[in-house]
Amino acid sequence: MKKILIVDDATTVRMYHRQLMESLGYHVEEAGNGVEALEKASQDTYDLFLVDINMPKMDGYTFIEEIRKTPAVKATPAIMISTEETESDRDKAYEAGANFYFIKPVRMEAIQTFTKLLTGGAE
Amino acid sequence: MAALSKEIDIKITNAEFERFRDFFYRKTGIRFEDSKRYFVDKRLVERIKKTSSNSFRDYFTSMRFQASGEELQQLINIMTVNETYFFRESHQFDCMVEELLDEIVRTQNKTELKIWSVPSSTGEEPYSIAIYLMEKWPGINHVDVELLSSDIDSSVLEKAKAGIFNERSVQNLSPALRKKYFNKTEFGLYQATDDLRSCVHFSKVNLNEQKDMQKYRDIDLIFCRNVLIYFDDYSRRNVAEALYDALSPGGYIFLGHSESMSRISSLFKIRKFKDALAYQKPIE
Amino acid sequence: MVLKKAATVATATTSEKSAYGLQDWLRLIDSTSPEDRRLAARALAEFPVSAPALLNTLARESNIRVKGAILVSLQCIGGHRVLEGLLPFLRSDNAALRNGVIEILQGMPNEIGDYINDLLHDQDSDVRIFAIDILQTLAHPDSPTWLLDVILHDKHVNVVATAIDRLTEIGTPEMLPAMKSVLARFPNEPYIEFIVNLAIKRLSED
Repeated sequence: MKKILIVDDATTVRMYHRQLMESLGYHVEEAGNGVEALEKASQDTYDLFLVDINMPKMDGYTFIEEIRKTPAVKATPAIMISTEETESDRDKAYEAGANFYFIKPVRMEAIQTFTKLLTGGAE
Repeated sequence: MAALSKEIDIKITNAEFERFRDFFYRKTGIRFEDSKRYFVDKRLVERIKKTSSNSFRDYFTSMRFQASGEELQQLINIMTVNETYFFRESHQFDCMVEELLDEIVRTQNKTELKIWSVPSSTGEEPYSIAIYLMEKWPGINHVDVELLSSDIDSSVLEKAKAGIFNERSVQNLSPALRKKYFNKTEFGLYQATDDLRSCVHFSKVNLNEQKDMQKYRDIDLIFCRNVLIYFDDYSRRNVAEALYDALSPGGYIFLGHSESMSRISSLFKIRKFKDALAYQKPIE
Repeated sequence: MVLKKAATVATATTSEKSAYGLQDWLRLIDSTSPEDRRLAARALAEFPVSAPALLNTLARESNIRVKGAILVSLQCIGGHRVLEGLLPFLRSDNAALRNGVIEILQGMPNEIGDYINDLLHDQDSDVRIFAIDILQTLAHPDSPTWLLDVILHDKHVNVVATAIDRLTEIGTPEMLPAMKSVLARFPNEPYIEFIVNLAIKRLSED
């Protein structure tokens, strides 16, 4: 079973994304900020990161920049999900190394489609 | 029986608790959550009775304005108790002697290392480190190790220096280690040998006080276990910065099992070793 | 035993900086070395008059560790002036800076109360979300009321969603009708439906 790490400081957002992903058959884990996510990523292997931008201790851009510099997790796809709607936010996300960018609230079908695409399915 | 002091029933009101909490935080950087209310009340009442004060108000006023600060020190002592014994959370000691120190010596070409155990509490942790180094780290034959240990509580430091432990404290030590590093006292207690005690340099430090912390620099490994958990967000961040200052580039921190630097700061890099997680100050 | 004996220990490493005063640190905070700037930022926590200089440095500082040290020192200094100096950074393009500032503001419950209302009514929905983020761990008795007002009146789905997230923790059963009214204001929004139902469950159990 493939594993997804949801990185968001809002509990309800993590819960919402968790049920979206679990309904597709993924195993889901959670982290409340970028540093916690890095700590988890150093101890375990994930098939996808779902990452918020605004978080304490370490924001989403910095988290993705960090994983892109780390050999073990360099190639793991990352989807950014944010409340920020401008073109420049989107650009920054891709510059940091995100594979896709969604604006909250995400459309269920859209994020599920991209998740399947980036992980090659849940199995 | 008539000589028994009158048993006054002292209760701490909500407002008094708040007042004490704010004061104690300002003084120590330790903030008690509401969930600690029972713990705090019980100890406050204990001190109020011990000092023969009539009420919280009396006690609080006299403690706040006491020039020596002796009573505040007493309070800090009883408010920060923490269970400790030899070889507690030993996977971190294993990590230290099996991987971490060798890596520092190898990658940073060191012939001298500084290890700092804070808080020392009654000495079990720093002495455990010393025993581990001498028993299980071959590197000790060619590397000098300076072992420092500090606590905010002076009475605890006195106990640590004396190095006298009960059976429960040493339960994880084999009979051979007990024999080698301890003398049995006439009361059946274990006193660390002079040799063991001379391995650790004890000092008093308040982790939240920059002036205290500035004395500690170029440390290669810090054990800072089960103390940050008692601090509030600001103090934790402040202490994380201060520990960063104290470390040598490439140096490491071990935290307690329920603590994580990732909820405090992004200053450190997470390093996963075979037996334990450690937080490293980047070399750069 | 080869362990170095305590007698030889020299704990204090005395550097040339141990005698530094306010002016020296203010000079050092302009240094080209990030390590020096960070040291200066740390030391300036002891000098409340340095707050404007720290705020200025924060605006142009690119090193994440220096920024972190400046923020901790500013929080240590505290007060209304520091707070007013920090608020503009909520509009910064730099996510790390914004979020660092939010964390510091969370630790200033006494000062932030006078400003939170303006922030919660800012034109920029992101700033309104940041204001709600500040309330996340802020120990302020009015937080639930402020958040209730947001879920009743704000028109932006993400602002309302963030407020609901916080209220699942600190809301009261009296807020249930308000929660239900959110569903009517944002129909066909599965995410809102999900968190409102969650909040209703949590608050009803209260």
